[in-house]
Amino acid sequence: MTISNIMTQIDRVAERYPQRICYQDGLQTYTYAQLKIESDRVAAFLQAQNLRQRAPVVVYGNQTFETVVTFLGAVKAGHAYIPVDSHSPKERLVQINEVAHPAAVLEVVDLPLELDGPQIIKQQALKQVRNQGSLTYDRQQSVTGDANFYIIFTSGTTGVPKGVQISHNNLLSFVNWMLADFNLYEGIRALSQASYAFDLSVMDLYPTLALGGTLVALDKAVTDNFKQLFATLPQLKLNEWVSTPSFIEICLLDPNFNQKNYPTLNRFLFCGEELTVKTASKLQAQFPDAEIYNTYGPTEATVAVTSVQITAALLKKYDRLPIGKAKADTQMYVVDETGQPLSTGENGELIITGPSVSKGYLNNPEKTKKAFFQVDTQQAYHSGDLGFIDDQGLIFYRGRTDFQVKMHGYRIELEDVDQNLLQLDLVKQASTVPCYNDMHKVTQLVAYIVPNANDYTDKLTLTKAIKMALGQAVMPYMIPQRLVYQDKLPLTINGKVDRKSLMAEVNQS
Amino acid sequence: MDNVRETVLEILSDLTGSDEIKANPDINLFETGLLDSMGTVQLLLELQAQLDVDAPVSEFDRTEWATPNKVVAKVESMQ
Repeated sequence: MTISNIMTQIDRVAERYPQRICYQDGLQTYTYAQLKIESDRVAAFLQAQNLRQRAPVVVYGNQTFETVVTFLGAVKAGHAYIPVDSHSPKERLVQINEVAHPAAVLEVVDLPLELDGPQIIKQQALKQVRNQGSLTYDRQQSVTGDANFYIIFTSGTTGVPKGVQISHNNLLSFVNWMLADFNLYEGIRALSQASYAFDLSVMDLYPTLALGGTLVALDKAVTDNFKQLFATLPQLKLNEWVSTPSFIEICLLDPNFNQKNYPTLNRFLFCGEELTVKTASKLQAQFPDAEIYNTYGPTEATVAVTSVQITAALLKKYDRLPIGKAKADTQMYVVDETGQPLSTGENGELIITGPSVSKGYLNNPEKTKKAFFQVDTQQAYHSGDLGFIDDQGLIFYRGRTDFQVKMHGYRIELEDVDQNLLQLDLVKQASTVPCYNDMHKVTQLVAYIVPNANDYTDKLTLTKAIKMALGQAVMPYMIPQRLVYQDKLPLTINGKVDRKSLMAEVNQS
Repeated sequence: MDNVRETVLEILSDLTGSDEIKANPDINLFETGLLDSMGTVQLLLELQAQLDVDAPVSEFDRTEWATPNKVVAKVESMQ
């Protein structure tokens, strides 16, 4: 199946199968008819608001049907949505507001603060619109072509997040690839666990809706409490699993997480961080009949651009799994530091070029110019990821050219953590480094800090104060687990903090 | 018994990177963000490796493991 327009396809499903379940949240289920009617109402309401044409809107929400309805309503009205998770710290909302200048903020969940600039659509008002608003909106204005569909904010090196603009055409290329290459089927029941503020969630969201399937939500509160998690999981009757490798590692600790107890679960899709041979082998042993796919891709190229099905032969052959081959409409190659293409087997930076590569960062021409360029007429992206391509055309990931790390699937710029630490009165100098385990995975962030003079009598209370202050500004996963205090930090010949020597110190043994 | 306590506190200090575990063994590990889901997984693996305690992940209720003292009590009850 190939589709030509995402919203049209979802509406078509709703017209053909109005009573089918599109979303399940605990015991609560929602039909495709509801999805269409409520998103039409949100679209009609937004078009009546006289918002700046094509300006993005923030959707402040959580893992619920209402959040998805609001996304679709915005796109139908002609506005890209910026998903912000209600678990985010306040400062992140302020930063996103400053960068994006959204025309409106739609509260699926009440905002924790006042924001200057955008029109605020209150939670209560939005609810009323969904329940009884007008259904008529102008489809000519809906997002299509190169117009932005969503904008997802990701860690930036200067302490300010960057908004990756994904157009309808970008997303369409991604969704059509998902429908073609992963053996997914009509009416599939897919896990919707990743936060909608992360693009991993797009891997379940749009392919599932295009297939007339059911998104089965798993809320953070359930995911966090293992007893509840394992009581809930078997009841979800999933067919398709989408998550980071970190999340499946938790689930694999339960010996009852196997094919016998989950007879309908037959597709596993991973993205967001390295899938290790150990994890994949264990999964295969517990689900011998399931299809397991490893994928790779930066947010800037729309969720994922390479894939490979993990087989017993593959697991036997490699110590570190390949990330696979680029999707049919996309080319990938490897370059050296000067941008010269390298040959088979040589290690260098991975370049991605194709129709799912973003036009760049919102309102940030400088960073856009640094990371994006054009090859012929195609958009191309410097991934900053190191790797090589073997003689079979399989691509392998081997680390980063810079100081970006992935921890439990979260993308973190170490410089971003440093910059936010430096904003604090207590901190004079800071350098954050990752601590790796023997599987090349980051397990902890360690911040080396030169503190300013302060009244704290011991490290415990100082650490507590710094972590708490940092927590006001950054996402919880960006807070270093360990703070190490020093009188000064080692410097390179150029007089910069020598992060590499600190990394060596943390990772010795 | 004291040995178990020491080992548990050592594991927790190591995982969280915080001396606070020993200084304040009634601190809430989850509310303070000292331990997240992945940290919890590490904890269970370490308890198994170092103390031969097999705590089934499917029985893991956060409220019963919320503080270092509670973790110690839980481990002692399982030995």
